[in-house]
Amino acid sequence: MLTRILAPACALLLCACAAREVTPVAMAQPGDDALSCEAIHQQIADNSLAEAKYIKKDKAVADANVAKQVAGVIPIAGIAISASTDLSNVEQIQARALADRNERLTQLAKQKGCPT
Amino acid sequence: MINETPRILSKLIACASLLVLAGCASAADPTAMSVSVQATDRPFPQPLQHAMCVRDVTGGEKTNPLWASKVDNEGFKAALNNSLGSTGLAAADDASCHYKIDVNLLGLSQPGMGFDMKVTSHVNYKVYDATGQAFVLETIDAPYTATVGDAFVGVERLKLANEGSIRVSIQMFFDKLRDSKPK
Repeated sequence: MLTRILAPACALLLCACAAREVTPVAMAQPGDDALSCEAIHQQIADNSLAEAKYIKKDKAVADANVAKQVAGVIPIAGIAISASTDLSNVEQIQARALADRNERLTQLAKQKGCPT
Repeated sequence: MINETPRILSKLIACASLLVLAGCASAADPTAMSVSVQATDRPFPQPLQHAMCVRDVTGGEKTNPLWASKVDNEGFKAALNNSLGSTGLAAADDASCHYKIDVNLLGLSQPGMGFDMKVTSHVNYKVYDATGQAFVLETIDAPYTATVGDAFVGVERLKLANEGSIRVSIQMFFDKLRDSKPK
């Protein structure tokens, strides 16, 4: 009886642990060379704002993961809690990608002789 | 009556030790992340041959044995150096390195648990020519799935998925180099 309940529950649990999908911002993008100085500066400002938000979210996810690992010692329920640990690193990946994109845009602005 | 307690206790300790050992995560192996040249591979542009080196790798993470397997900077750098060597791209020394590679490992998207474990590595590759100009800037997302058939123990399966994902990433980077037009 117990096996009949536990087996589908475990299967469900294991299927539900896939990482969240993320597509980071590409460093170099088509049309970069055609960007005006104003557009470059605007993109850098927008990226910096978004990066700061992702860094904040990443810290919250990391804190939640630590709490889930600690709660993992609770019998039975601990397995489910521990399995819900988020190792997808979505926020970290996005933040780092935006930082690299800004590095590329800054270099581009320098090449174009844009005012700082 | 014989006291069974010590025997049972030693069996329990042995089982617990086995569980702990089986459950310890280890870092990705550079050899397993390296790629070698295949007979069907297209050639690299001539200027790149024996003229590349890895300058900097950032973004990697050390593996905590009680957590999950990760890829560290040293491991990635070793894997990329091995791959450059086996494909004839590695420069013999610093003086003959005309194309420097910087790598930023943005992160690994790993599953928390699962039968089939799919890991996607997200890596920025930057290649600079002798004048310091970037001539390849690639963001590469490389998925790889390790199954229960590859490894029964979860932590080992995750390690294999990490290694496979970095291997695919380096292979995709090399494909971009094959398409590049270095001066």
